[in-house]
Amino acid sequence: MASVTFSNVKKIYGDNEVLHKVNLEIQDKEFLILVGPSGCGKSTLLRMLAGLEEISSGEIAIDGQVVNDLPPRDRQLAMVFQDYALYPHMTVEENMSFGLRIRKLPQEEIDSRVMDAANTLQIQKFLKRKPRQLSGGQRQRVAIGRAIVRKPKVFLFDEPLSNLDAKLREEMRVELAKLHKKLGATMVYVTHDQVEAMTLASRIAVMHAGYIQQIGTPIEVYSRPDNIFVAGFIGSPTMNFMDGSLETEGELLYFKNEAMKLRVPFPLCEGAEFDRNAVVLGVRPEDVYTERKLDKNLGDMVRAKVEVVELLGHRKNVYLECGKSRLLATVPALFKTEEAMFLWFDMDRVHLFDKASGKRIC
Amino acid sequence: MTELRRSTPRFKWGIFAVHAALILACVINIYPLLRIISVSLRPGNRLISTDLALIPDGATLLSYVSVIKNTNFLLWLWNSLIITVATSLIGVILASTAGYAFSRFRFPGNKLGLTLLLGTQMIPAGMLLLPLFLMVMKLGLINTYLGMVIAYSVSSLPFSIWILKGYYDTVPRSLEEAAMVDGTTQFGAFYRIVLPLSTPALAIAFLFNFTAAWNEYLVARVILSNSAKYTWTLGLFELQGQFITQWGMFAAGSVLITIPVLMVFLYSSKWLVSGLTLGSVKG
Amino acid sequence: MNSQVLLSLLEVLQMVGFVAFVTLWIEAYLYVHFNFPKKSWFLPAVLSVVPFAVLLLVLVAVGPVITVGQAVNIYLYSLLAEALLSSFFRYKGDKKLALPYMLIMPGFVGLALLIAYPLVFEVYLAFHDLKLTTLKVWSETGYLPFVNFEHFYDVFTKSPLSEVSFWQLLGRTLWWTVVNVFFHVAGGLALALLLNNEIRLRGLYRTLLVIPWAMPCVVAVLAMRGEFHSEYGFINIMIGRLTDAFPMLAQLGMHKVQWLSQHAFLTCTIINVWLGIPFMMVVILGGLQSIPKSYYEAASIDGASRFQKFRHVTLPLLRPVLAPAVTLGTVWTFNNINVIYLVTGQSGGTEEADILVSALYKAAFTFNRFSYSAAFALVIFVLLAVISLMWLKFSKGTESAYD
Repeated sequence: MASVTFSNVKKIYGDNEVLHKVNLEIQDKEFLILVGPSGCGKSTLLRMLAGLEEISSGEIAIDGQVVNDLPPRDRQLAMVFQDYALYPHMTVEENMSFGLRIRKLPQEEIDSRVMDAANTLQIQKFLKRKPRQLSGGQRQRVAIGRAIVRKPKVFLFDEPLSNLDAKLREEMRVELAKLHKKLGATMVYVTHDQVEAMTLASRIAVMHAGYIQQIGTPIEVYSRPDNIFVAGFIGSPTMNFMDGSLETEGELLYFKNEAMKLRVPFPLCEGAEFDRNAVVLGVRPEDVYTERKLDKNLGDMVRAKVEVVELLGHRKNVYLECGKSRLLATVPALFKTEEAMFLWFDMDRVHLFDKASGKRIC
Repeated sequence: MTELRRSTPRFKWGIFAVHAALILACVINIYPLLRIISVSLRPGNRLISTDLALIPDGATLLSYVSVIKNTNFLLWLWNSLIITVATSLIGVILASTAGYAFSRFRFPGNKLGLTLLLGTQMIPAGMLLLPLFLMVMKLGLINTYLGMVIAYSVSSLPFSIWILKGYYDTVPRSLEEAAMVDGTTQFGAFYRIVLPLSTPALAIAFLFNFTAAWNEYLVARVILSNSAKYTWTLGLFELQGQFITQWGMFAAGSVLITIPVLMVFLYSSKWLVSGLTLGSVKG
Repeated sequence: MNSQVLLSLLEVLQMVGFVAFVTLWIEAYLYVHFNFPKKSWFLPAVLSVVPFAVLLLVLVAVGPVITVGQAVNIYLYSLLAEALLSSFFRYKGDKKLALPYMLIMPGFVGLALLIAYPLVFEVYLAFHDLKLTTLKVWSETGYLPFVNFEHFYDVFTKSPLSEVSFWQLLGRTLWWTVVNVFFHVAGGLALALLLNNEIRLRGLYRTLLVIPWAMPCVVAVLAMRGEFHSEYGFINIMIGRLTDAFPMLAQLGMHKVQWLSQHAFLTCTIINVWLGIPFMMVVILGGLQSIPKSYYEAASIDGASRFQKFRHVTLPLLRPVLAPAVTLGTVWTFNNINVIYLVTGQSGGTEEADILVSALYKAAFTFNRFSYSAAFALVIFVLLAVISLMWLKFSKGTESAYD
């Protein structure tokens, strides 16, 4: 098994730098997920690791060996593509054994590996079929099987679930988690779906505009986002943001804007540089309360106007207008909504960011 | 329902007119072929007649026997076959790799090369004939298959490259990437994955090369002067030249050649057309 | 027959082997260059010239193609070229480019040898004097007298054949092209519109209608030529029978005609129109079928008449298919030697029907005026280039009107 290191990796197309000095360490047996909106460079990064894109500068190492100049075939990786990339003119069995046949493994070895993988993925019945006779989910399994039989150092997944319908996607997600547990292999996984990232990853690397914004375990990324982008990208429904300023009154620190004045009960980061007059307060919809809770560290009361209410069944989404900003609160379904209401934020779980740089300041 | 009934009478007349026009056009288009068949069936003593009956009195296959027995017809066919197959194979092999390079790589000269390929289509074929003939003559290849193959080999190349490039463009790149990750080289991915997937396009390119060379007359006229090396086009022209005496044999030979060519063409015309328009539209 | 078959197979093998060898050499050449970019020029140069040297040796050994002295010369030149090229690649060589260049090289070398080189050679010929009397000297010593622009002058003043002049040919060519292309498009459009109806037997009609295009050209033209024979051709037989049955027609001036000798141009035109319609029909039919039905339905709802639909929906949407087909058809027609040569090419044939390219062919290969026809060919080439450029400009101009 293997670790992967990116050091100062850049990708430049013509005059256009799409990846800026990416540094990333992936440990052995880790399930690392690169997540970000389309065009953020995550697929490029993965393809550079696979050897399908050239590395403009910097180094990529697998197990300490620099692979910049190795062609894909010598990197001992396996990759699952978004469109599965199953060879249409080969049967499932031939598809799975292709890489082994190229490497001239003995036939018994090939057969046993293919059978093992087919058993794991429950595709024994389809071995003699051509890809076009399979459903999307089955093709997906074959594509994964083709990777497994290779026993690669690292598995690469390029948005493997995005062509499946919602239900199948959930199923495959569970299967992938099981597979990672079973194989105990290093996996690098690219997706734009933050739900996949949260549920599967050992660690998440959130990417945006050619930079890695934050690396951490799912819970770290969720509960302590490093900047506004990560805060807004991770979590569904997305975090509420409110512009305002920070003011000190005596010993106490307050967040103020036209609609609220909240006492900030926690200290700011030491050495954080920011403009006191332009900060952003972030709070997730589930941390907005419509009644006082004694077991939470709720802050000062905020007045808001109800715009729309959506009933989801077990919860309600309440869209509110609060000064210039619009807020979403998810509340219990039984809650009775009125036109104007009072809100409290869970002050243990609010986030403060500098508006200009987007960086976290608490 | 009423709507439909009201429009029916006019509609019927329209259909009738359409059928009539189409039948007339069909008759004009196939009549010469039918006449050739009819002449080929005529008995020897009434080869020349002003009879217009499609199946002549005393129809006989004697002309067919005599064109095979008394002329070099089979040899001509054999010559044509050798030259054509060699030409087509060379053409398709060269085009298959060049088309791949144009489809998959960005290299200096990529655009220019494709444009030049289209440009060659503008050069009158008759214009290159003289220098080509002199070159072949200087190489001592007059009256040889080799001379013919050299003269033919690249004439359909630009078109074949365009067809194949167009087809390769439709093969997803991720297939080759998967193959490369699986352990092939770039070239290995080409011949193990892309080539087998492109057999339809390769067949079309082969067919196009084949028909072009098979039906060619003008180049052959220049390079081949020995009747033992004639292709069938030269042979038939010779038979037809002596109009009176060998009219029946000419007709029989024509029928023998035309029937298989027609069948192949009708089978493949759909793809040929799409390729033709593809090549020109994309430019 | 048997030994002949063997011999011819051997010849084909030889030929494919030759191509394979040349290809191999080119590939070795590129491979060696791109995979030693950091070494000195010497090794790549020597390595990549070795197969070439072997080829030259084989050519010398096989027979009278080249002499030893020529082979040595060629070899030295290629070594020199190698040295230059490899020192260039040493600084510029980019390994990534090796594969694409290796892939296109064999084809493009073929094109260079068989299209680019002949073009250059033609220019050389046009300024020198190669004719039957100088041919022998030239093929033995390679010497040709230089004559400056004499042949170009002759092209415009002397007949390429025996009587018809360049200007007559030019006029006839333009007329020939316009008439043919017009009837091809008109006929093709008419038939395609007929076929585009929802009628029975459509597939059968389509199949029968493409037959003139599908038949081998030589057979089709010769068969049609037979029908124009003055005594035994269909046309004159029909005319004879009609005038016999209705003497009135004869009084109106209908009579048998010597098609091939007196009306050769008309005959050729009729045959070529007949030959060319099916291609246009198929292309246009493809275009018609790619027009979504919903457009016509929308037009009907807007109250358009049949003609208005044709004018405002069909024609504009047919344009992307029609424009390249017409361009292609024009070039083909302009360059069409086949029909005219097959109809009038035999000894004693008339010059009445000749257009530029067929006159060129006859001048070169019937009259053996080599250098003259080289100059003639260049003139035609320039003419065609000018027309194409004008056409490009024109079609660009109309394009913007539609977009």
